[in-house]
Amino acid sequence: MPKREIEGDWVMGWPDRKRPEIAAGKDADGRVISGRTQILEQEGLITPTNNYYIVTQLDIPEPVHPDDWSLTITGEVERPLTLTIEDLRKLPGRSVRAVTECAGNDEGFFDYEKRGVSKPSRRYVPDFKRRAALKAQGVMPTNDELAGEMGNTCAMSGGEFTGVPLAEVLRRAGLKPGAQWIWMKGFDNGRPDPTMQYRSMGRSDVKVEDPGVINYDKGLPLDKALDPDTLLAWAQNGEWLMHVHGAPLRCIVPGWSGNWWVKWLSHIEVTREMPPCYHQTKYFVYGKSPDDPNKPMLTAMGVRNIITYPLDEDSPLERGSHAIRGLAWSGMGGIAKVEVSVDGGATWNEAHIEEPRERWLWVRWSYLWQVDAPGAYRILARATDVKGRLQPQTPWNYQRKHFDGIVPSDVVVE
Amino acid sequence: MHIAVLIKQVPNPDALAAVMSVDEASLKVVLPPGHPQVVSPFDEQALEAALRLRDQVGAAVKITAVTLGPDSARTALKQALSLGADDAVHIHDAALLDADSHVSAHALAAAIRKLGTIDLVLAGRQAADFDAGVVGLGVAEILGVPSVSFACGIEAVDGGVQVERVLQDGFETVQVPLPALVTISNELGEVRKPNLRETMRAARKPVAAWGAAELGLEASQLQPRSRRTRLFIPQKNTQCEFITGATAFEAGERLAQRLHDARVLG
Repeated sequence: MPKREIEGDWVMGWPDRKRPEIAAGKDADGRVISGRTQILEQEGLITPTNNYYIVTQLDIPEPVHPDDWSLTITGEVERPLTLTIEDLRKLPGRSVRAVTECAGNDEGFFDYEKRGVSKPSRRYVPDFKRRAALKAQGVMPTNDELAGEMGNTCAMSGGEFTGVPLAEVLRRAGLKPGAQWIWMKGFDNGRPDPTMQYRSMGRSDVKVEDPGVINYDKGLPLDKALDPDTLLAWAQNGEWLMHVHGAPLRCIVPGWSGNWWVKWLSHIEVTREMPPCYHQTKYFVYGKSPDDPNKPMLTAMGVRNIITYPLDEDSPLERGSHAIRGLAWSGMGGIAKVEVSVDGGATWNEAHIEEPRERWLWVRWSYLWQVDAPGAYRILARATDVKGRLQPQTPWNYQRKHFDGIVPSDVVVE
Repeated sequence: MHIAVLIKQVPNPDALAAVMSVDEASLKVVLPPGHPQVVSPFDEQALEAALRLRDQVGAAVKITAVTLGPDSARTALKQALSLGADDAVHIHDAALLDADSHVSAHALAAAIRKLGTIDLVLAGRQAADFDAGVVGLGVAEILGVPSVSFACGIEAVDGGVQVERVLQDGFETVQVPLPALVTISNELGEVRKPNLRETMRAARKPVAAWGAAELGLEASQLQPRSRRTRLFIPQKNTQCEFITGATAFEAGERLAQRLHDARVLG
């Protein structure tokens, strides 16, 4: 049986279990610009900050010292504001624990479901060093290359964020009647890398619109902006926000995919109409094909659930008892129920959900499986959230966003 | 006042010499991969002198850091910018990578001319790699401005600067009108360290990249005037001699005599 070996490391001068390691892509100066950590290497609910996944659509900007930074709020407000970090910290703050998940996380499973391609492995982490090098050289991936790629499986992390509710800041600015959209703008800029969309679609024979050099921005609908858990955060996991994660200030939009969590925030404009953000109208949209005239923007994620043990690669398993384990979370609040099937979906059994059950953070669940007969087993797990939504909620879409399907573990018991 | 500070990136002189080797065929120093490169410590002193002048005179002092070197030399400029230089010039050209002192001086002088009205050029007394100590003064010669070497202190006075020079057996104070070039010695004192805010600001400060053509260097100025004929690591012969005596006092007395005879003690 291929037991998951505990690898060793030296930690603070002592021999210890190996710590999770981030697979990072770096720029020419050796600075990290992307990264993933295997979800299987993590334990518990909070992802260590150094292991938090990193995705950026544009170039990571040069850092700005907090004393040189301010946030402006303009547009459809009674009192335009300019706030420093210290101004924000004087407001009634809030901490929120939430899952950050890339909209394209687990995108490869769509193809596994739809086209029957081989099942992606959760042990796979893309070669970000190579991707960064190719990006620097301006090399575009071919269709064949993209078809052979497994897709993201590790662009999800759980964190605790401290900041101030966006609603509190908007309240102080005073929304004018008719204000509907909160246009959040980062000070990062650049020309969108078309390979991001090629990888998302799994093909590169589609014309990707080039908007030129732009700042990253998103227009958040007012009702989500006023959710008290939607934050402007300056801290993560008990420490100041890191530059790669958007310091001095980033937006936290629990339940909505990472592209909404605007990093390096510097300006908020309140508008009546949806702003024409590239990453809201051209990318991070649903739709059946690139030519589909109906491409609504992504909003809340569906119901997410992954099995972390056993996976296909853990076969063969010994007869006896196994704790089938996993993580579940939802784009609309807490998880109400997780069910496990060990017979390919013929029967379902309720799993134990561990406390705490927070609104936006994933929950750990387990089901003790007693297996005495050798053979092949298909293990399934499905989650239901507090809104009564049972996974899957999100159908295939051409940009392969928000996958929330049920992925089986196919194992053999000896 | 516009000050140009000449800085050079060198292999960390504090690193163990044992990690270096020389390729006697190509007459080049061979460093292990990843060997740390730093701003030559004498050039850090030159930048510190410029910053002290700004402390004295005020914000009207503009400081431009100028370096000649490969891609990696940009890091040295970033350090200068994070310490307070306002902008920087990176002279970068394949034709200049193996420049000797003559070519280096011409390239740096051309950059200073291109910068416009420079009142004062500051340089380290020598670079902490080959320790030749001639480029700075060569720049002054080419620019046709007076030069003062081995400064351990500098302050602005009416129409010029007053420089305290280090001599072998004392100090000398001279005044020089501007424009001028001053080389700074390590006796200037402790240099400041970059803080986070300035380090972050440094990334947004302008760095101009100029090649030989943009500097208008002529063919004769690109011709080296010196030729390296041999490069080698000197052999060190270490001898150990035990000085003994019947008593500790006698042993000490003999040791002192031995050191005196060897001219270690005067």
